[in-house]
Amino acid sequence: RRESSWKQTGERDARRRPIEELTNATESKEAAEEEEQEQEDEASARKPSAKVQAEHEEQEIDPTQYTRNRLQVLAEVKAKGINPYPHKFHTTMRLPEFVKTYSKLDAAQRLEDKIVSVAGRILSIRSSSTSLHFYDLHGDGVKIQVFAELRCSGLNETEYGKLHAGIKRGDIVGIEGFPGKSKTGELSIFPSSIEVLSYCLHMLPKGQASAANAAGKSQHAKHKENVVPEAWRPGVPRNLDRYILKDQETRYRQRYLDLMINPEVREVFSTRAQIIRYVRRFLDERGFLEVETPMMNMIPGGASARPFVTHHNELNMDLYMRIAPELFLKKLIVGGLDRVYEIGKQFRNEGLDLTHNPEFTMCEFYWAYADYNDLMKVTEELVSGMVKEITGGYKILCHSNGRDQPPIEIDFTPPFRRIPMIEGLEETSNGKIKLPNDLESEETNKYLQDACERFDVKCPPPHTTSRLLDKLVGHFVEETCVNPAFIMHHPKIMSPLAKWHRSIPGITERFELFVNKHEVCNAYTELNDPVIQRERFADQVKDKEKGNDEAMQIDETFCTALEYGLPPTAGWGMGMDRITMMLTDSQNIKEVLLFPAMKPNEDIVVTSAKPLGTAG
Amino acid sequence: MASSVVRAYLLPLILTHAAVGRNVKLEMMSRVSHVSRLVSNKCQRRRSFTQAAAVIRCQAANSVPQVQSEKEEASASSSRSSSQGGGRRRLPKGSSDGSSTDGTSSREDIRTLRIKKVEDMRTGGYEPYGYTWERTDTAQELQSKYVDLASATEANEEKDHVSVAGRIMARRVFGKLAFLTLRDDSGPIQLYCEKARIKDAAFDQLKTSLDVGDFVGAKGTIKRTEKGELSVLVEELAILTKSLLPLPDKWHGLTDIEKRYRQRYVDMIMNPDVAEVFRSRARITSEIRRHMDNLGFLEIETPVLQGEAGGADARPFVTHHNALDRNLYLRIATELHLKRMVVGGFERVYEIGRIFRNEGISTRHNPEFTSIELYQAYADYRDMMNLVEDLVTRCSLAVNGSLCLEYQETEISLERPWRRASMHSLVAEVTGIDFATFGSDIVAAKAATLEYFKGQIERHDTAAIHKSPSIGHLLNEVFEMVVEKTLIQPTFVMDYPVEISPLAKPHRSQAGLVERFELFVYGREMANAFSELTDPIEQRARFEAQVRVHNATMQAAAEMAKLKGDTAVVTAAKDAYEVGMDEDFITALEYGMPPTAGMGIGIDRLVMLLTNSPSIRDVIAFPVLKSQ
Repeated sequence: RRESSWKQTGERDARRRPIEELTNATESKEAAEEEEQEQEDEASARKPSAKVQAEHEEQEIDPTQYTRNRLQVLAEVKAKGINPYPHKFHTTMRLPEFVKTYSKLDAAQRLEDKIVSVAGRILSIRSSSTSLHFYDLHGDGVKIQVFAELRCSGLNETEYGKLHAGIKRGDIVGIEGFPGKSKTGELSIFPSSIEVLSYCLHMLPKGQASAANAAGKSQHAKHKENVVPEAWRPGVPRNLDRYILKDQETRYRQRYLDLMINPEVREVFSTRAQIIRYVRRFLDERGFLEVETPMMNMIPGGASARPFVTHHNELNMDLYMRIAPELFLKKLIVGGLDRVYEIGKQFRNEGLDLTHNPEFTMCEFYWAYADYNDLMKVTEELVSGMVKEITGGYKILCHSNGRDQPPIEIDFTPPFRRIPMIEGLEETSNGKIKLPNDLESEETNKYLQDACERFDVKCPPPHTTSRLLDKLVGHFVEETCVNPAFIMHHPKIMSPLAKWHRSIPGITERFELFVNKHEVCNAYTELNDPVIQRERFADQVKDKEKGNDEAMQIDETFCTALEYGLPPTAGWGMGMDRITMMLTDSQNIKEVLLFPAMKPNEDIVVTSAKPLGTAG
Repeated sequence: MASSVVRAYLLPLILTHAAVGRNVKLEMMSRVSHVSRLVSNKCQRRRSFTQAAAVIRCQAANSVPQVQSEKEEASASSSRSSSQGGGRRRLPKGSSDGSSTDGTSSREDIRTLRIKKVEDMRTGGYEPYGYTWERTDTAQELQSKYVDLASATEANEEKDHVSVAGRIMARRVFGKLAFLTLRDDSGPIQLYCEKARIKDAAFDQLKTSLDVGDFVGAKGTIKRTEKGELSVLVEELAILTKSLLPLPDKWHGLTDIEKRYRQRYVDMIMNPDVAEVFRSRARITSEIRRHMDNLGFLEIETPVLQGEAGGADARPFVTHHNALDRNLYLRIATELHLKRMVVGGFERVYEIGRIFRNEGISTRHNPEFTSIELYQAYADYRDMMNLVEDLVTRCSLAVNGSLCLEYQETEISLERPWRRASMHSLVAEVTGIDFATFGSDIVAAKAATLEYFKGQIERHDTAAIHKSPSIGHLLNEVFEMVVEKTLIQPTFVMDYPVEISPLAKPHRSQAGLVERFELFVYGREMANAFSELTDPIEQRARFEAQVRVHNATMQAAAEMAKLKGDTAVVTAAKDAYEVGMDEDFITALEYGMPPTAGMGIGIDRLVMLLTNSPSIRDVIAFPVLKSQ
């Protein structure tokens, strides 16, 4: 097929040809109408009564037929030896730069001697007459208007008509022209040439790309805006009901459509990138070294979770996907790197729900000669600093109580509340829970089982003290943690890798940061006594025997590393997905993952054009 | 199963306890509350101190305590600094280690002895695993702060009260004077310990309990010794972590290469150069990130676990998701997902992340490795050449401060511009065969190739030539056999045959080729880039062709296996894998992808090049190794 050797030369004339060809297949409007108003008519073009020809066409044709038509056109273009997918379009500026540079122009001002070339996707088409077409050109999160007049096009009427009849919603075009503003003040490019760079073969989901800002904004205000509708920013509630593409399945399975059609989604993911960049910079500035540790392990360690297992063929060896990088990072501290961190994927073989995806991103750092008190200070600094930098303040709004309830405020102003776990449990239960002193005794276990029953707190077996306590704390204490709060001093049985508290028996120097009732950070003074570490692992094995298949395994190589000496070290982990959810008002983790894991659904076959035989 | 494991590893512990004559049960129970016990029981502390002293006296009888002058100390330390300059750092062997019998005793004996020390310290009210230490300076900071301090002078004003922490790498004790070499993340510094100056009983503790390998914190003022060794004149000394295992006397660099990778932390303790490689690695990724961010690229994360492994032809790892009861593949490339994002409107995206391929391990291959893939709308492969030149030279400057490298005793110049040559011309240059002249006559091409190699190649290479399903495959085969290894200086190999490049755009002027390049340095592929194929119809056809060729190859392998017998059949079946067709990716293209260029760079190989590391295992902290 390659022998068709497209005569793609890059010359303008040759490039314009395919577009003209396209029009052959679609019914072209005769350009016989009288040359209409020279004055702009964009306002009227926006009115429903105006000739919104392109969109009308779309509505009349069913999606399959639409795709078939476009494929047909494409095939014809190729048959003529023309490459409909140019190799390169040289842009002189990206759209955000265009907006920045020219948004200060006055209404009706045109810089006719300034030639620029830009490119983007057309998401809205309006025609005022046969000699005047308007497009919304989107790129990099902004949009500008394309003000295409016959006058400026250097084409005759027929050519002009064919060109514009061939441009469809969703097409990617490259435009050369001059910048200016329309009489209504809309920032526009006045093209001297338009070239289709890539075809959208499918009908895009219906709805005006700008419809999302319908809420209380006047049409007029909308025109002035080049930042795609009513710029959402982190820390502010989102309204998913206003999205043009609402269907969750489609949004998550075909994220590119979601990004294309729902402009806020793009901002969600740039917020995610911003958050990760912030954390990286925060740690770099404090002398932490970013490292990479293996994602495939001989023993899955560092957390209590069910791992994914895979197999290395040549070594004929089973490997586990890591559930935490903790043990490796501590080995590096043993090796003499005093401050290390890793931001990366972790994998846990568990079901999908609103806060769990089988792979998720965590940041862990380890800091020699520091302890959990230092960590709480740093956590306050990091988290509140992040919220301040990204949202502009310490307070954010989000729909924690559901989309149908009004958003609530979360206040990240430091310092954060500190709640010792056991005292907290006793207090939040109004003294109805009073734990026996020895947390490791049978008596305590019995007491907790009764308590769970008493308060109707569900705890699926096995009923280990650790699990029972976790459920009760979840029920009573975590529920009170809307604003950031540290739940600290976990019992030793819950924290096999944390160091025993220096002065209070039975508990560890550990804390978890809860925000919006969700765990965001988990941190502790690291257990570095190899003898005691082995004992803790042994307890885990006992738990495993009791049926808790998420209990940890013994990692001998880690214990050996500890025997070479781990300095006093504090370690910290944060779920990047969870914190992103908070700052982007997302109640579902899938909202902050570009490609979330989805149940295989045989019914949903992604609409794909069947190959058109010999086409191309 | 699990319980036997417990027993197995508890056993030595129990023996340990038994050996030191303590009641195991009591010890296990009491550990739970040992902290409070230690705090409250002062009487006991005094008693155990005498106990500990007795133990130490016994040990001391084995080795002759030497009393040395400060001059001897200095000569010992100068020999240390010289060994430090020359690459692999070695500890001074047989140092006059007063209390320890590390040099002669077995590892297990030492461990037992040190566990005893831990217990004795606890009994004495001292926690040998400290909680925190406030340090004011790193060793390197002190070395540079006091670089002008003259020999045999002290600095003891208010501002000269410093606090350091690190691992003890050498220890010399002479009666009331001791010299310790402490090393932290930044480097070494000496601790000058005079009994008279040190608070509490810390000097005694130093003599009785401190071993090489322990972590200590030290506070004091600054002194440069007569021999010019900058030291902390210690006033306060604390053991922060008691090590149980002795550091190796010397680290058997190359002879014990396996152990170096298995116990990377020991490697790092003994060879500071090793840590330097990982620092360089971090600088390189950080430099890449900074440059990409400055160019307006957005860093994103795409999934590792996928329903279908696409974007390359490699055997994927398979795993199983329990809740979904579904097999998943570990990604072999990030390409197809990143391109979807370009469709979605991110015009410049990149991802630095882990890639997994179920292949053998070698000095250049680890089953998981790190790559950056980046995609830029409205750019083509020539733009990518400029970008990679820019990236690699920046990294080299960041790490080495120069564009001239020495890699494995070969000079490599990264001065721009780098050589650009087509694959055809490079093959013709070496073999004299111009593959362009064959058109689609593969028979003639194979004949010419075999003629060229006549008598010079192994049978399996001949077989590879015979097996090549197309001229493009054959050209690539010959390229890999004869040209690759000659590409020492940075070279862009351009314009690959379409048959081996299913995701690249057809060349704008040459039929049968695509707009693709690979960057080679020192005979190794460093980067792979193309003008991306954006035509969904052609993409589908390419995938189909790829699947056909792949299936034929797998089929042929299965046939071969049949001739070799049952075991071979089983192996072949196990090693077979499918190349899938990512329908959703094609759908994404149908929504329109702008003209785009993309590139992948192997970060591990780049780090190898810039840190002069011969093996990929030198730049991966914990490489995959055969199980022991």
